[in-house]
Amino acid sequence: MGLKGNAAIVGAAQYKPEKYSTAPQMFHLEQVADLASQALADAGLKARDIDGLCINGPHFHEASSFVPAMAAEYLGLAVNFAEVVDLGGTTAVGMIWRAAAAIELGICQAVLCVLPQRMAPFGPNDDPSAMARAMRYGGHSTQYGAPEAEFDLPYGHMGQNTGYAMIAQRYAAQYGYDQRAMAKIAVDQRTSAQAHPDAIFRGQELTIEQVLASKMVADPLHILEIVMPVAGGAAVIVASPEVAKRCKSRGAHITGFGERLGYKSPSYSPDMTETPVGAAARSAFAMSGLKPADMQAAQIYDCYTITVLLSLEDAGFCAKGEGMRFVLENDLTFRGNFPMNTHGGQLSFGQAGSAGGFSQVIEAYHQIAGKAGDRQLKVCDQVFVSGTGGVMSEQGVLILQGA
Amino acid sequence: MSNKPMPLATALSAPFWEGLKEGRILLQICASCQEWTFYPRRHCSHCLSHDLSWEQVSGCATLYTYTIARVPTLPEFASAELQILAVVELEQGVRMNTTLIGLEPDQIKIGMALKPVRAIVSDDGTVLLRYTGADVQMVERDERPKAPPVADQSNEPTRQKIDVKDIETLRALVSDQFSDWSNQVLVDQALINDFARLSGDDYWIHTDPERARKEGPFGGTIAHGALVQVLMSRMQVPLSFEVTGFNNMVNYGSERLRFPSPVPAGSLLHSRVRVKSVEVLPKGTQMIMEFNIHVVGQERPAVINDLAILYM
Repeated sequence: MGLKGNAAIVGAAQYKPEKYSTAPQMFHLEQVADLASQALADAGLKARDIDGLCINGPHFHEASSFVPAMAAEYLGLAVNFAEVVDLGGTTAVGMIWRAAAAIELGICQAVLCVLPQRMAPFGPNDDPSAMARAMRYGGHSTQYGAPEAEFDLPYGHMGQNTGYAMIAQRYAAQYGYDQRAMAKIAVDQRTSAQAHPDAIFRGQELTIEQVLASKMVADPLHILEIVMPVAGGAAVIVASPEVAKRCKSRGAHITGFGERLGYKSPSYSPDMTETPVGAAARSAFAMSGLKPADMQAAQIYDCYTITVLLSLEDAGFCAKGEGMRFVLENDLTFRGNFPMNTHGGQLSFGQAGSAGGFSQVIEAYHQIAGKAGDRQLKVCDQVFVSGTGGVMSEQGVLILQGA
Repeated sequence: MSNKPMPLATALSAPFWEGLKEGRILLQICASCQEWTFYPRRHCSHCLSHDLSWEQVSGCATLYTYTIARVPTLPEFASAELQILAVVELEQGVRMNTTLIGLEPDQIKIGMALKPVRAIVSDDGTVLLRYTGADVQMVERDERPKAPPVADQSNEPTRQKIDVKDIETLRALVSDQFSDWSNQVLVDQALINDFARLSGDDYWIHTDPERARKEGPFGGTIAHGALVQVLMSRMQVPLSFEVTGFNNMVNYGSERLRFPSPVPAGSLLHSRVRVKSVEVLPKGTQMIMEFNIHVVGQERPAVINDLAILYM
């Protein structure tokens, strides 16, 4: 079942994470064209090679529907496959496997997966408070009839922080909790970020004590265990073997994937501490014929430290309840025995909204392609990548392999 | 009128909200598979059957998980009470998002027995279902915004009297430490409207709740910064000292005036102060007092005012 592993990531581009206040403002269509041309240059391909498109629908600035057609027109491309992916932080992972599947089905040869995340310029008739109004309730719908508008928001259940905190509290009650181990996730990733020229926290080292002394946002999560939103955006080219042959660097083949979601609020999950990444990882490993121990790097979606902990356990890198010990006993930096989020993770690289998940995909590609600079792993042929959207409510996994 | 989000019942969910108003907790049960469903739906969330009916339940639950939001999830949720978000599991197996009240953090344990509390949150009788410990004496709580109690000045601490010529002692008051909090003052829509008339600043973001809810950035109306600033006069800050021996004392204005965070209509305010500097000028002794006015429970001040008091 599943992919044969023919399709590969052959090129990528990613804006350097910047604070929204200082980042350039660009229309999303402009960013799509800009990121696409950078990714094509990285791959050594031309615009006319693209015949498939995965793009975001929600939060696309210039339109809320007909986004692929508008983007294709703007780019001057005709495609055989167009897909809007709406999976929050696992949108990147979701785009990559959909692109690979479309290629293996023979519908297209090269798919542009793109997600702009810089702010667009304000127009003379734009309402400057519209964004503040949208931000007020985070990712929650306030539409009449939306269950969360009726049963969550009136109780103050909104945003991501408290949801993740409640998962961590439940985990603590069931399995115990070592806040030093949780802090070490952020600290090890910060160490790796020092070797990435674009990381937002490059030049700022971090200690476990600093994490534990940082402000408590929602028990037990400190502010340094929570990602910082940044402006950014990313594009990746997924190509068929025929196209990949013409590309400049070693491709990262998509040999396995999984996707799982069943609720938006984790309050309604069967068990808050058993996250969907478990099912997604089982599917991905089975498809690729590999197991967790075969992975030479793990790029694990890290909106919060607790996301990493549960992903390590549920994806099978350690037993349930053993995550804290696993973190303490292993060196998670790019120099360590379990290289994880070698770009610093989103915690230290920056989280460019739902494009943040691309940072993990692109780091996996960079490591496999030998493009990871100072943090390049000596051997890196098999990489685990995960994505997480909502409050651990929609998750995806990729297994990427060098040929 | 508060800016807090309120539940808007639909035709499907109305029995649940109407039940709460009448003191009954109603859940849907499926006649096909005998499973319970929450939140209210057209269909059973287990078997998709449409054969659902409403049944009254006790509402008794256990605590599935919780967190204390140290940063309120909206400015409107800031209050003197901790914002404790929780997920509870009812006897019927369904889970609900709620908040915990009437419990100290050290009394809260995941798995503990809880009972429902009817919280009356608006004048139209809307009731939210909050939870407290099974042994806490509370079944209902009126949470409609109301005026805070009048400040009790009978047991004010005795203040250290300092002569204005005793500069060393005055300088010893300079500190990063703020005083205790003042009494609380309610800034409601009526007061905001009064200030709009008085000042002439009747911009809709202050005076039109409907438009502010739909078009404004804050989900409702907010108080004028200038109004919040002058409400200082209604707040008695417990000071540890009193300056004596001067001929005249004047409010010389402000060295710094900032409005770092909005004050939604319906907020309770309180303030505190510290002595920032003491300086001898040719015209007298100037004390800069940094007043910070906060929405109760909100860490970020709504007003920072470095007030210059000149003693002559």
